[in-house]
Amino acid sequence: MEKKLEKKIIIKVSEVSKSFNNNVVLKDINFQLLEGESLAIIGESGSGKSVLLKNIIGLLLPDKGSIQINDNEMVHLNKKLKEKILLDLGITFQHGALFDSLKVWENIIFKIANKEKINTKQGKQIALSIIEDLGLQPNILDLYPSEISGGMQKRVAIARAICGNPKILLFDEPTSGLDPVTGSLIDKLIKKAVSRIGGSAITITHDMASVCRIADKVILIDKQTISWSGTPKQMFDSENEKIQKFIKTINSDFFLND
Amino acid sequence: MLDFFLNFLGTTGKKFITFVSNIGHFFIFFANTIYWIIRPPWYFKRILQQIIDIGYFSLPVVGLTTFFSGMVLALQTYNGFNEINSETTVARIVLTSIIRELGPVLTGLMVAGRIGAKMAAEIATMKVTEQIDALETLGTRPMQYLIAPKIIAALICIPLLVLIGNTIGILGGYVIAIYKLNFNPSMYIYATMEYLQLIDIIQGTVKAAVFGIIISMVSCYFGFNATKGAEGVGFATTSSVVISSVMILTSTYVITALFFG
Ligand SMILES: Nc1ncnc2c1ncn2[C@@H]1O[C@H](COP(=O)(O)OP(=O)(O)O)[C@@H](O)[C@H]1O
Ligand SMILES: [Mg+2]
Repeated sequence: MEKKLEKKIIIKVSEVSKSFNNNVVLKDINFQLLEGESLAIIGESGSGKSVLLKNIIGLLLPDKGSIQINDNEMVHLNKKLKEKILLDLGITFQHGALFDSLKVWENIIFKIANKEKINTKQGKQIALSIIEDLGLQPNILDLYPSEISGGMQKRVAIARAICGNPKILLFDEPTSGLDPVTGSLIDKLIKKAVSRIGGSAITITHDMASVCRIADKVILIDKQTISWSGTPKQMFDSENEKIQKFIKTINSDFFLND
Repeated sequence: MLDFFLNFLGTTGKKFITFVSNIGHFFIFFANTIYWIIRPPWYFKRILQQIIDIGYFSLPVVGLTTFFSGMVLALQTYNGFNEINSETTVARIVLTSIIRELGPVLTGLMVAGRIGAKMAAEIATMKVTEQIDALETLGTRPMQYLIAPKIIAALICIPLLVLIGNTIGILGGYVIAIYKLNFNPSMYIYATMEYLQLIDIIQGTVKAAVFGIIISMVSCYFGFNATKGAEGVGFATTSSVVISSVMILTSTYVITALFFG
């Protein structure tokens, strides 16, 4: 605990609430992401995990509360500064959100190509160095997103997010729909990115095996609030009904052997 | 009875309020777009892509419609005004109708169907699949990257398409006049040149530019505000074609009235 207090707070979410018309999705959410920490957010579908992520990155405005990234209050920050802060974030969306009019390699280097001129050869080289770690073949670089499988699209989206080495990673269900082998590859990658100096990550996931592999801390969103938080190990002793439900989705010896 | 009446008032009122607020939203979108168009950076490569898409690939359909319209005009004029038939009347009616009205309007409607639908569907798809969200998180402003190139390209292409369409339409009239009505070619051409007026060309170009803005703005607006799901994309596509067609036909009246009223 003492060690944690020294760590820098990267993202701080305080008293955030969000509703759509009469549909209250989030109510008084509080949590922090510390430097070097990997946080997993779990919760049933429709519980508001993606909405929370979109509030953090400023695509949705919270009805109340504050969101700080590296001590910058994001909610009413001017557009220019907000954009600058967002550039240090690597984000994936639940459904990939690859640009379907651009080739795979153009998708991957999109952010850095926006800042500096990069020719085709350099661009492909950069993209290649990233996808190699993700178990993807070089021949997909020249294809369009619609020409590769869903699992590959997911990994290309991750490649796009980590291109340029952002310090903060925000992944919305990065392993859903992937086979277990590729899933664990992605988990390793998230771990690797976090263990790099200063890297921190928030991963939204349903996959409990992946929670156990990557997370230092877990929060559960249920009934609009954070109804449980703790370490992956603590989940196994938790009395919380929803946590127990989630735990049942894996067999526990997996965790013991890991 | 009273119940029914109140209900009717209620729904009509609600519809009316939605309608007015939509118009308000549209004008905010319009102003916003103009603001982003005049600010750098400009994505020249994307503007060029759009020019090819809107301009070049619309040529066949625009050419075909205006060509046949020119032919029909010549034929109808000849049959309808039997007593005053001459090179001069047919040439004049074909020329004036095409340059002032048919060229711009037919081109506008064709492009609205082809390009408006495509723009709306493309942007709506990007919206519902979170690609627009992704753009924002990757250091790009969707207004500048996505919308501005389309508006700029439409503004450049549609006037050019109209000029080309006009020429082809007049040629269509010429073909009928010479090969079917057996008019004298040089007299027909002479009559055409004589009635060709700068003010008509200017008016046609103004119309074309206005249609360009209508088509691209309306399509981008509906695409950008599409709601989740496949119906969202479908609704955006249909609405943008219907609304831009109606706006084209309304605005052509207004512009005509301003010029010649
Ligand atoms: N843009 C939006 N407009 C209205 N309602 C939304 C919007 N985005 C999400 N919601 C609603 O918020 C709730 C939570 O959605 P979401 O965060 O996507 O859930 P999940 O936890 O599965 O990621 C759902 O009821 C959804 O309908
Ligand atoms: Mg989600």
